[in-house]
Amino acid sequence: MPLYPKILSRCIILKAMKSVFKKNKILVVIVVGILLVLSLNFFQKTVKGFFYATSAPVQKSLEQTGSNATDFFSGVFRSKELKKENEELELNIQILLAENASLKEIQEENQVLRGALEIGLQKDFRLALAEITSQDIGQGSILINQGSKDGLNKGMPVITQQKVLLGRITEIYEDFSRVALISSKESSFDAEVLDRGASGVVKGKSSQLLTLDLVVQDKEIKEGDVVVSASLGGIYPKGLLVGLVQEVKRSDTDPFYQIAVVPFFDLQRTNSVLIILDF
Amino acid sequence: MFRRIFIYALFFYFLALLQTSVLADLSLRGVINLISVFVILINLFEKPRDYAGLYAGFIGGFFWDIFSANFIGQNALILLALALFIKIVLRKYVWAPAF
Repeated sequence: MPLYPKILSRCIILKAMKSVFKKNKILVVIVVGILLVLSLNFFQKTVKGFFYATSAPVQKSLEQTGSNATDFFSGVFRSKELKKENEELELNIQILLAENASLKEIQEENQVLRGALEIGLQKDFRLALAEITSQDIGQGSILINQGSKDGLNKGMPVITQQKVLLGRITEIYEDFSRVALISSKESSFDAEVLDRGASGVVKGKSSQLLTLDLVVQDKEIKEGDVVVSASLGGIYPKGLLVGLVQEVKRSDTDPFYQIAVVPFFDLQRTNSVLIILDF
Repeated sequence: MFRRIFIYALFFYFLALLQTSVLADLSLRGVINLISVFVILINLFEKPRDYAGLYAGFIGGFFWDIFSANFIGQNALILLALALFIKIVLRKYVWAPAF
């Protein structure tokens, strides 16, 4: 007898739940879906790793198609611009050849001096090669095809073959790693302006622009100056190419310059990257 | 309905792949986000009484999250809210003979 009210109340609850489900079927499905998707965050690495591994071959061929299409369209639409650029480049080659000849002389002299002083060449970085698998929809990062299995760790700097700084590893999966680009809004690191003795902090602004902050106005900085990484923060090794100064603004109220920097890296032309394993 | 959801899942998966590969190279990323564009279009052209567009928003956002650095669910919830908003506006404030 005392069981009867309990069973009755359970039946009522079940009936009520059934009617709620019938009335708000979509709402229930969506709430369950949201909870299910949010719970996937506990296995985020496994879930994302699975999708990256299964999509990598398709993405690679699609990316190849994309870069071929880009080359084709840029050739068609920029023919006038390219002709002008070609003329400028030819002129630059001549200037560089002359510069190269004088640098070779200096190099020989340098080698002789190093030999005399018994100084070894600076130890190069230990590097690992990886290929770009995909680029983030939100623009701030890229995915590379090397992961924890290949000995990569969070925080390792990523560069191109021309020693141009790309960013650093922020997420690591078994076979893949996510690299946050220096142009992402969360990125900030110490850098210096080459040959000017000025140092500051480079912050990401957008995919095509960086800002160099906290550079005091007592040093002269001009458009076209080269910005390289500094070892001060310990995030990146010293001397990696960051970008070119595009615009320098002075303000009477601000003791620092406002400098816009165009990054050197071009993802459209970069397929493989190098990871600095130690520095 | 399940067939439609399955088709949406496949469609948005390939859209996310396109967005992170071909369109990234054509420098259209950032300018055009195909996933949100299609979620908006699906919800705009669907009958306001239908609710498959809500699933489309959720699934599209899910694949966006998978192929970006966000936590899983962030864009899924944003696009779901966007789809819901479009549905409410269309149901309450827009009258069109086609609907």
